[in-house]
Amino acid sequence: MGRRTAPRTLTRNSASQISRSLLAAGCAATLALTACAPSTEGGSAGDTTKLTVWSWRTEDIAGYNKIFDVYEKKHPGVQVEFKAYKNTEYPTILQTGLAKSSGGPDVAQLKPFGPIQAFIEGGNLTALDGKVDLAGWPEEVVAAAKGKKDGKTYGVPFAIQTLHVLYNKKIFADNGIQVPTTWEDLKAAGDKLKKAGITPMATTAKEPWVMGLTHEIFGATRMGGDKFAQDVVAGKNDFTDPDYTASLQTVADLKPYFPEDVTAVPYLDAQALFSSGKAAMYPGGAYELGPFKKADPGLDIGFFDAPLPPGAKMDKPVTPGFADGSYGVNAKSPNQKEALELVKWMATPEFGQLFADELKQISAVPGVSPKDPLLAEMIAKYRSQGEPYSMAVHFGYGEPLGRDAEGEAIASMLLGKMDAKAAGTKIQKDISAWFKPEE
Amino acid sequence: MVQAGGVSSERAARGRRRSRRSRVPSVRLLVFLLAPALALYSVFIIYPLFSSLQYSLFSWAGTRQLGFAGLENFERWLQPGLYRERLLRAFGHNMIFFAGTMLLQTTLGLAFAVLLHRSRAGKRFLQTAFTLPHLVSPIVVGYLWSLMLSPSFGAVNAGLRGVGLESLALPWTGDPALSLPTVIVVNAWQWVGFPMLLFGAALAGIPEEYGNAARVDGASAWQVFRKITFPLLIPAIGTVSVLTFVGNMNVIDVIYAMQGSQGQPAGSTDVLTLLFYRTAFQNPDPAAIGQSSALAVLMFVFIFGVSMLAIRVMRRAEGRLR
Repeated sequence: MGRRTAPRTLTRNSASQISRSLLAAGCAATLALTACAPSTEGGSAGDTTKLTVWSWRTEDIAGYNKIFDVYEKKHPGVQVEFKAYKNTEYPTILQTGLAKSSGGPDVAQLKPFGPIQAFIEGGNLTALDGKVDLAGWPEEVVAAAKGKKDGKTYGVPFAIQTLHVLYNKKIFADNGIQVPTTWEDLKAAGDKLKKAGITPMATTAKEPWVMGLTHEIFGATRMGGDKFAQDVVAGKNDFTDPDYTASLQTVADLKPYFPEDVTAVPYLDAQALFSSGKAAMYPGGAYELGPFKKADPGLDIGFFDAPLPPGAKMDKPVTPGFADGSYGVNAKSPNQKEALELVKWMATPEFGQLFADELKQISAVPGVSPKDPLLAEMIAKYRSQGEPYSMAVHFGYGEPLGRDAEGEAIASMLLGKMDAKAAGTKIQKDISAWFKPEE
Repeated sequence: MVQAGGVSSERAARGRRRSRRSRVPSVRLLVFLLAPALALYSVFIIYPLFSSLQYSLFSWAGTRQLGFAGLENFERWLQPGLYRERLLRAFGHNMIFFAGTMLLQTTLGLAFAVLLHRSRAGKRFLQTAFTLPHLVSPIVVGYLWSLMLSPSFGAVNAGLRGVGLESLALPWTGDPALSLPTVIVVNAWQWVGFPMLLFGAALAGIPEEYGNAARVDGASAWQVFRKITFPLLIPAIGTVSVLTFVGNMNVIDVIYAMQGSQGQPAGSTDVLTLLFYRTAFQNPDPAAIGQSSALAVLMFVFIFGVSMLAIRVMRRAEGRLR
């Protein structure tokens, strides 16, 4: 119910008149949803070339300005303007910006894997092959910016997110709990915390993507890691595989340690449970550290990688991770040379170090280590025992996204509406709506 | 206006013509007055309407329009498979949403209007109180309710437990059987003032003499409502029904805020607009524009068709009253 018109008296005629006009407006609004988006101007003036960089990271504006100051000093005649839009509006704004013949960005921050494909196929981005050297970068990191059809590279990845089990060091110490190294340890810790009235693990099954990540954290070693995903891509296996469905069960079996009514917990509440000290562990990514530190700067956070669950197909724990996005060049930018020079710089350790230190994130540039000790430890783990987050790397190219199909099926398992086998069948069916294995 | 007595018929006719001319504004003035609204209407309603119809008939690679696709984009939705299942599931949820809203929001709105119409004390205050949630954005309403219904920090379940109703502290937004009814109740909480105002206005338009005459004839209060007030409210009920239908078919904000873009849990609150939203804005497929436009066209055809039919039925019911 949405319109607010309240005539003082309602005669028969005015009643139907109002309904007719409001009806037309209401119906048309359905269709009008497909259009409209704002725009901006850019370009060069005089001797200095002005490069515009678009991003969805409004929280990083100050940091990027410092980073680009360094670049400007070394590249006289080039001025870099960093422009950030609201995260949720960015995809639409970028779509319009890249489609315009002028006035779009010169360099754009691009979401990884799936979302970049529409720009690549639309011819909106300049291929970087032979222009930017990404040799020595991990394959699954560069894959975030590659065309699925043509295999060319269209962006320089900037950040890596690693996935772990975060834990509250104080709660662990207060309850005499050591970092679990076996599955039994993990369950024993959960039981002990529960008895002490503390939620062992804060998470939510209301947001499918959170359950998708949780599955990767606890189930990757059970299903056989990226090897399993590659077999599915090659058509040698699928999501009804018993080891895969057993990995779904691994997550469902953790239900006693999740918050009560986990399918009803909003994402913000899951975060709040951990940051307020009501929950001891939080399966999630490095990107959660910022919000947690903001909620409580005194929070002493540690992390560990999930121990091997019973029946694991791998022999040691893994650190799942994925590239969080890349910087690419607008094919319609009049400043191709300068823009390419900038993204080339974004692949250097100099940019990587500035990025890691100014923005407190894990740089994608190989060899760069952040100053923050916790982040440094996380990336060190990823470099020694990293595993690509397969749902993002391989199954993020259609609707429904692989991670969402997986998270939704796990939610059904947690609700007791589905067993592991049925969940696997459902995931296979959902993803098959757009995914075809390679011949 | 024109006096007939003592004036020649020729002068009378001229006068009538003049008066008619002076009542109808010139074409130029009409165009001048209508142009701004027409221009806005064309740019924001007519143009997007036709462009999305055109989008739905072409192939797409990102924002690049490729060749004519015929009905290919529609086939995605209508051929057996996951997308048709999701479309039908969302459609079913919209229908339940509409039925639930009619049952709860419209009935309560009518009840409140009738009660307030009779009462003198606190009428203004209560009218304002019931309509107040209108002033809050549905996104905010959804967000506030999702906080109140949260199992970990929410006030609703804490309150229920506090008064000993432990067994009623349910996972309102997390159980597929409860989630859609919960959203319907929250939505009705926000909008119940709307039918109440419309019904209140219609009630004010019914002459008191009708009721008085019936009462003199010995009719009970219920009989007066059933035989006199209710039939005279039928035009207003028709209007409210059609507006509720259009509003419910296009509902998105409150569900998005409470259950996310996927209509969680397990798709139990997924509706057509959310399906559209995901297809248009969360779909990595380069053909997303064509696919989402096709869905928008299907929704438009359905909503427009049903509304037209409803209005016709409504007119016939009104005709019987005359």
